[in-house]
Amino acid sequence: MSTLLPQADRADVPPAAHLLAVEDLTVEFRTRRGVVHAVNGVDFHLDERETLAILGESGSGKSVTAQAIMGILDTPPGFITRGAIRYRGTDVLTLREEDRRKVRGQKIAMIFQDALSALNPVFSVGWQLGEMARVHRGASRSEAKRAAIELMERVRIPNAAQRVGAYPHEFSGGMRQRIMIAMALALNPDILIADEPTTALDVTVQAQIMQLLAGLQDETGMGLILITHDLGVVADVADRIAVMYAGKIVENARVHDIYARPAHPYSEGLLASIPRVDQRGGKLEAIRGAPPSLIDLPPGCSFHPRCDYRRDNCTRDVPPLYEVSADRGSACHYWQEVLGAQ
Amino acid sequence: MPSDLNREPRTPGEPLLRVEHLVKHFPLTQGIIFKRTIGAVQAVDDVSFELRRGETLGLVGESGCGKTTTAKTLLRLEEPTSGAAYFNGQDIFRLSRGELRTARRKIQIIFQDPYASLNPRMTIGDIITEAWEIHPDVVPRAERSDRARDLLERVGLPGESLNRYPHQFSGGQRQRVGIARALTLNPDLIICDEPVSALDVSVQAQVINLLEEIQDEFGIAYIFVAHDLSVVRHISDRVAVMYLGRIVEIGDEDDIYEKATHPYTQALLSAVPVPNPEGREHRTRIMLEGDLPNPADPPSGCRFRTRCFKAQEKCAEEDPALIDRSGHGHPSACHFPEVLLSVGS
Ligand SMILES: Nc1ncnc2c1ncn2[C@@H]1O[C@H](COP(=O)(O)OP(=O)(O)OP(=O)(O)O)[C@@H](O)[C@H]1O
Ligand SMILES: Nc1ncnc2c1ncn2[C@@H]1O[C@H](COP(=O)(O)OP(=O)(O)OP(=O)(O)O)[C@@H](O)[C@H]1O
Ligand code: SF4
Ligand SMILES: [Mg+2]
Ligand SMILES: [Mg+2]
Repeated sequence: MSTLLPQADRADVPPAAHLLAVEDLTVEFRTRRGVVHAVNGVDFHLDERETLAILGESGSGKSVTAQAIMGILDTPPGFITRGAIRYRGTDVLTLREEDRRKVRGQKIAMIFQDALSALNPVFSVGWQLGEMARVHRGASRSEAKRAAIELMERVRIPNAAQRVGAYPHEFSGGMRQRIMIAMALALNPDILIADEPTTALDVTVQAQIMQLLAGLQDETGMGLILITHDLGVVADVADRIAVMYAGKIVENARVHDIYARPAHPYSEGLLASIPRVDQRGGKLEAIRGAPPSLIDLPPGCSFHPRCDYRRDNCTRDVPPLYEVSADRGSACHYWQEVLGAQ
Repeated sequence: MPSDLNREPRTPGEPLLRVEHLVKHFPLTQGIIFKRTIGAVQAVDDVSFELRRGETLGLVGESGCGKTTTAKTLLRLEEPTSGAAYFNGQDIFRLSRGELRTARRKIQIIFQDPYASLNPRMTIGDIITEAWEIHPDVVPRAERSDRARDLLERVGLPGESLNRYPHQFSGGQRQRVGIARALTLNPDLIICDEPVSALDVSVQAQVINLLEEIQDEFGIAYIFVAHDLSVVRHISDRVAVMYLGRIVEIGDEDDIYEKATHPYTQALLSAVPVPNPEGREHRTRIMLEGDLPNPADPPSGCRFRTRCFKAQEKCAEEDPALIDRSGHGHPSACHFPEVLLSVGS
């Protein structure tokens, strides 16, 4: 790994140009309580038309990873202390401010869990959607309104022309999330990061939104990063999955591989602990304990206090992301045993 | 375990709670000084069900369908508009405040948000023993701290937690405190309103397992309110599906999950993602169109008809009763009930 090289050197030799490649991304928050190690050397990549799921529970660093990619990290207290974020081979972190903003503003878009707070309550949704056209293309009022209606139709909001003047609170949660998606699509991004886009929604609405996203992805060929804690949603839509725990990717794999045979004790534990709608009761295999404090991470493998495969060296040696197969990695010293256990 | 937490064995299956025609409307008012009522949100509208001792009834349905309101009226945290709820033979809706206090001992609640539901200024010990101040006959004063310690240990927390404060615990641990508190008065029924929704995925299973163990040990019945249909399937003996203030289908766990006959139940189940990517290309999914209607002005006839893939003229004209019209063995409020074999996976 080239993690210790200065960034300029690495920018000269871009690896195979993925649409997006995140390398050794490290983010910390310097707070009064101490340094929060929110993201600790995260690597992943995304190609066109691909859906990558970032799966992890609360506090595992999913949103902070997305914020770092989008350049919307809360700085201070948050700082990117290491790593590269390559868009088609170019590390945006080394770009001039203006170019960096162009990539992040136009090529990468993001939608959030809470669509209501992301929309401005005092402007109509049409005005907010049209703003993109006004600001970036110098569109007139009526052109902007037309663009807004088109966007609303693209995300299948019924009666778009009549509802273009309505305010965010006049829409249901699902419709607001559609409006957020419309806004994200306004500049035809190559990459869409969806941070828990359906977590606040009912399951029938979730299904509609996921179907909409998949359709739009087919249409545009954009790459989709889906951040979620829902193993069902991942199994439904993802091509690949990166499992995060305490700021690290502990396993990455093609989605079929990981569900069939997880290679990390945490992935294995998660799969065994969730009840399934297609199966009758029985006792759930709970993972013991709780996720660690990011200020005071356990030494060695961060998962060791909760792990059944743990041996002495796990409390000392930080596991690297071992290569399980060509397109698969596991950050467990005993990944072979985990794979063999199934 | 302290002896009087172990109750004498009871006949399982004996009815503990019978809710009849429960209605809760919230008036909608207009005007600031001279308020006038311009309508009512029909949060719960003619809900009836039975709960047997030691049984778990899951209550599912989308946001706003009336799950929490149903739960709150049973505790008289909201006063019902009409209806009856016989608990151990007594109609809780007709009890005076004094009588209610005694009856309420036997019904406890666990809330979704373990953060908001524990007073941050009270120690865990005070939180647990508070109920014994109000009902001093349950545990003699001298035994209270021992009993509190036992309860904490039973829910998987160290006995020393007594002197600590809620903020010193994680979400899962706080939910354990909530469970311990619910057990203090030896309840017959615990209403769990989204008890694991706020917890980390890896901690949910611990709390679900604990709830199940406690039920087996003490024979407590649960009303388990949740929007997560997988969790509800796991924990419930029987399940009621609500839509817009009504129960649209009710039955045993496998009636609902394997043999649902109501189009809404079918749509709901088919929307739940299955955590298994194999064969996902071939899964059928019923997509519901449109949004939830206004609960202050529900559709005529069947309330689900505006989003139903089967709706016909009759559905707008006639309100389908919750009965077993098709001989599937459980009631369904649809004029055209039938089992769809392709639903789910
Ligand atoms: N502005 C901030 N200041 C201090 N700490 C922060 C800040 N933002 C995030 N963190 C910390 O970084 C860690 C990772 O947070 P992050 O929001 O990425 O989690 P997440 O995986 O998105 O979780 P969730 O599922 O709850 O959204 C958390 O411990 C969080 O407290
Ligand atoms: N105090 C109140 N005043 C007015 N309307 C209310 C009140 N409480 C609830 N409602 C309305 O009653 C309906 C049922 O609400 P309830 O909270 O019971 O739904 P729920 O099924 O628990 O939903 P969720 O899954 O979101 O918790 C909703 O339309 C809600 O807006
Ligand atoms: S009664 Fe009609 S509208 Fe209602 S669920 Fe049945 S088919 Fe649909
Ligand atoms: Mg987040
Ligand atoms: Mg509720």
